Amino acid sequence: MRQQVLQVTALLVVIMLVAASCSSDDAALDDNSAGDSTSTTAATDTTSAPTETTADPDTDNAAGGGTLVVAISEDPGQYNPALTTSGSVHTASELMFNGLLAYDDQYAPQPDLALDWEIEEDGALYRFNLRDNVVWHDGTPFTSADVKYTFENVLTEFHSRTKASVGSVLVSVDTPDETTVEFRFSEPYAPFLQQLDVTEAPILPAHIYEGTDIEANPANLEPVGTGPFMFASRSADEEIVLSKNPNYFKEGLPILDEVVMRVIPDEGSQVLALESGEVDWLWGVPGPDLERLRKDDQFGTLDTLVNPGGANCIMTVSFNLDRPIFNDVRVRRAVAHALDREAFVERVAFGQGNAATAPISSGIPTAYASGLELPDFDPEEAGRLLDEVGWVRDGEGVRNADGVEGIEDGTPLTFGVHLFPNFAPYGELMKALLIDIGVDLEINALERATMVEQVFTERNFDTNIISFCNGTDPEVGVRRMYISSNIAPVPFSNSSGYVNPNVDALFDEARNTVDPAARKAVYRTLQEILVEELPYFWLVETTSTRIFTSDCSGFRAFGHFAEAASCNRE
Amino acid sequence: MLTIGLLMMSLVIAGALFAPLIAPYDPFVLAGPPLASPSRAHLMGTDSLGRDLFSAVVYGARTSLLVSIGAAFPAALIGLFVGMTAGYAGGWLDNVLMRVTEFVQIIPRFFLAIVVLAIFGDGYRNLVIVLAVSSWPVIGRAIRAQTLVVRELRHVEAARAIGARARWIVMREILPSMWSILTVMTGLLLADVILIEASLSFLGLGDPNRASWGRLAADAQQYLRVAWWLAFFPGAAIVIAVIGVNLVVDAWSQSKNRIKPAR
Amino acid sequence: MTRRYILGRLWQTVPMLLGVVVVGFLLVHIAPGDPILALAGENGDEAYYAAMRERFGLDQPLTRQLWTYISRLARGDLGTSAIQKQPVSAVIFDRLPNTLLLAGTALVLSTTIGILAGVLAASKSGALRDRAVSTSTLLLYAVPVFWLGQLTILWFGLRWGWFPVQGRTDARSNSTGLAHFLDVAHHLALPALVLASQQIAVVARLTRTALIDQLEAPHIDAARSRGLPDATILFRHALPAALLPVVTVIGNRVGHLVSGAVVVEIVFGWPGIGRLLVAATTDRDIPVLLGLFVLIGFAVLIANLITDISYRWLDPRIRIG
Repeated sequence: MRQQVLQVTALLVVIMLVAASCSSDDAALDDNSAGDSTSTTAATDTTSAPTETTADPDTDNAAGGGTLVVAISEDPGQYNPALTTSGSVHTASELMFNGLLAYDDQYAPQPDLALDWEIEEDGALYRFNLRDNVVWHDGTPFTSADVKYTFENVLTEFHSRTKASVGSVLVSVDTPDETTVEFRFSEPYAPFLQQLDVTEAPILPAHIYEGTDIEANPANLEPVGTGPFMFASRSADEEIVLSKNPNYFKEGLPILDEVVMRVIPDEGSQVLALESGEVDWLWGVPGPDLERLRKDDQFGTLDTLVNPGGANCIMTVSFNLDRPIFNDVRVRRAVAHALDREAFVERVAFGQGNAATAPISSGIPTAYASGLELPDFDPEEAGRLLDEVGWVRDGEGVRNADGVEGIEDGTPLTFGVHLFPNFAPYGELMKALLIDIGVDLEINALERATMVEQVFTERNFDTNIISFCNGTDPEVGVRRMYISSNIAPVPFSNSSGYVNPNVDALFDEARNTVDPAARKAVYRTLQEILVEELPYFWLVETTSTRIFTSDCSGFRAFGHFAEAASCNRE
Repeated sequence: MLTIGLLMMSLVIAGALFAPLIAPYDPFVLAGPPLASPSRAHLMGTDSLGRDLFSAVVYGARTSLLVSIGAAFPAALIGLFVGMTAGYAGGWLDNVLMRVTEFVQIIPRFFLAIVVLAIFGDGYRNLVIVLAVSSWPVIGRAIRAQTLVVRELRHVEAARAIGARARWIVMREILPSMWSILTVMTGLLLADVILIEASLSFLGLGDPNRASWGRLAADAQQYLRVAWWLAFFPGAAIVIAVIGVNLVVDAWSQSKNRIKPAR
Repeated sequence: MTRRYILGRLWQTVPMLLGVVVVGFLLVHIAPGDPILALAGENGDEAYYAAMRERFGLDQPLTRQLWTYISRLARGDLGTSAIQKQPVSAVIFDRLPNTLLLAGTALVLSTTIGILAGVLAASKSGALRDRAVSTSTLLLYAVPVFWLGQLTILWFGLRWGWFPVQGRTDARSNSTGLAHFLDVAHHLALPALVLASQQIAVVARLTRTALIDQLEAPHIDAARSRGLPDATILFRHALPAALLPVVTVIGNRVGHLVSGAVVVEIVFGWPGIGRLLVAATTDRDIPVLLGLFVLIGFAVLIANLITDISYRWLDPRIRIG
């Protein structure tokens, strides 16, 4: 009996070894094909070219099909991008849907489901003319009714960013005919054109969702969209398979036959899978490996300000202004002087980003203010400021209070920083830099739900480091950090607890100013105040690097990244 | 084997006791250029921020030892108490205590630690508590089994025959026979805790305010191809500590009439 | 007697499981962190969160919520995943077979290799092979699992290209039948071996010790004096008795195997419930987390039961008594 068991298991082991040796031959073939390539420059081509002209059917028609394997970090479990702002849902689903507009790499609006548009009544009325040749994946024609339904019943109900911004000012959506949609707002609403791509406002099929429980609709698992790829199959936590949409409304696109989203949670394992040829595209690469892979001509890269969580993200320190130690702007300024932004870029972000130079990301050229004077790296000035406030230091150790307003003498200068575990290295560098100026920092790395509750609901923190994504317009992701009405138990709101009526008024003014130059001037005034008062300190504008096998080309960094991609393999 | 084991363990203990004297730097300050390979200035190189790895490994001995002792000793005490009570008293008390022991063992220790650390925060206090609370049953069972054997021995029966009080018998006649198995089980637990802490750190549940081997080795995974020293030295420290404890325990249990830890 | 014994033991698992549910429930509900975020997204306003709290019953007192949960559980309803909006049972059973395959293979591998290595070492105690086995098992035991995983990927996957480095199947081919089986086996080999590694060490060391003990026992001496060949003595007389404690330990370590699967599944991108656990914890997907508590608790209890039964079956003394 026992011997039989042994025999069976031995047999199993042999089978496995045989299996291993058989298919390792295939792997070797793949390796060969990865070696020859002529398209390493493809990455830079696509970044400058508008989406629609990227594909040239004449040169690409012979080759280019086949399967693209994309690594994703998690299986979100549902694939309806209109229901959520979750990065993992959007990563997995955006190829199946469209927005009214798409954006080029400067975030300038381009036609997508809408061909063109008009703005009337100083920005209180937007009219879009839709394409008439679009069909849903199930063959039903796309019409203006789908747009109306999606905005009224889904986006302004469930998509938290669009709900919070558009939802609060949208009065009505009208459909004069099947290819025209009109949005009416309660007041001039400047940022609307920046909120209409597949990320901010994907359009759903009304005929499938109307009259159902939207969140429980089976189409959330097997989506029906208009996008370049159609849902084919899924295996939980393993992969999602998308197939080419033969009726896509853009001529000659897509080129690939199939896109497989492969779930690989560990970043290091993703890199190994790319190098072994099992995966073709990664959304990001851990810093240390990036330099090595950049030098390898088997891979192409694309740098972008769009992170999986949103566009134009800035790693930001916020000071809890309810805490007595941060009452004095000189203490906040001292901390800012100690935090070497360049060191964060080099040692934590590994060059994937640049030092922040203003409260609003340089990736939003319509609002960014250049030439502001942020506190630069100057530990001595930091020490001087702290001495001045009354935080005194004997030699090398931690400073103690000696005549600091509102603080008992002898209290050591120690505080905590709250952050998500994946940002722990930012906290570690902050700790190292603050030791130099006599501050003891305690790092609290907390999982998402706990962190959000501690910071935004309980306000039980001293400082925090959060990646605040500015989005495509300050209305989307900047306003929420500073206006006093947004000090609320709501995630990613005004975490410092900053109150300045002047700033509140300026944000309102910017929202209603449609003229670009005038609007930009308002944002400059605003940022000058913020740099003076430092309720936050802005460390790094993080970029993210897409990396892919150089067998494939024609990618974009965000949105429909594989719409015009093609692969050239044996 | 015993000498090798003792040597390894004393290395670890010395590091823990004299960390401030041995380590050339504070493990948290920027001591040099980032990702410098091992050199005379930095014996084990520096990490991505430019902190001295040798200092971190030395201080890490302190953390690892504190955590494993912090978790193993309470577990040993609880296990000893529960095991001896159940074994000596027998009857319904034994029954109840054994059901409790089984109950605690249902949810695997690592599993529980993940959940607790992720939702209550990953400070070392939480780690120590959850590991102590979930580790005692193994010890408790072994102690109970041993108590059942010892209870029937002649000198214990003799004590009972002359009417000694139960507490006296337990303390004077039974407890002394528990030391060797307790040492063996606790020693193995110490080693286990070091490994568990490492795996938790890999899942992002380590405490960034302490230098610990597990955290160092786990963080180093993303530098595996860039800076081998970051993974090698903390990993080696873990291996040395775990093997050291195991060798000593092996030697000990062989000398003491072959008490086999039931794991 | 056996059947009654099994039924009785099965019955005993019910209160145990109930206890697990209560403890798990309290644990995740008294924890800091608002579960509504998982349910309602992160950019809502206060009124929206209040409405969602009411909808999911989070505004009810805790005891009431617990009662609701248990009464649903009694009807086999584990609730709906907060994140995936699907029944928890579907979410778990989509992934369970993969973990069973991984852990089961690791169990078979570790038992076979571990016992063989133990026999090899004990058959000539103190010799070179004994030392080789003892040293290598000690090393296997002392190396953190994630470290071993990454190293095997680097060498066996990347450098030599023998095995794929991630996943359960090849992403580019849709094989069926035998080809599919081989594809899965090929992907399974590395993670199963890594998961088995620590267990191999434990089983090997235990087998060795137990076997050496047995070989010194009087009845073996008697057999030897009758002139039986060494192999016969080893396999017929010493090994069966030595395997008794080994079986217990293998059964008791099922929990370790499940825990180890968490790390292995992450390193190798294996789509199982270990990864689900980590994701459910960080996303605070409470229904899934509780569902996993129930499932794991049940699995461990069943494993203990099987161990006890096989122990009774293997050990003649208990069988007779």
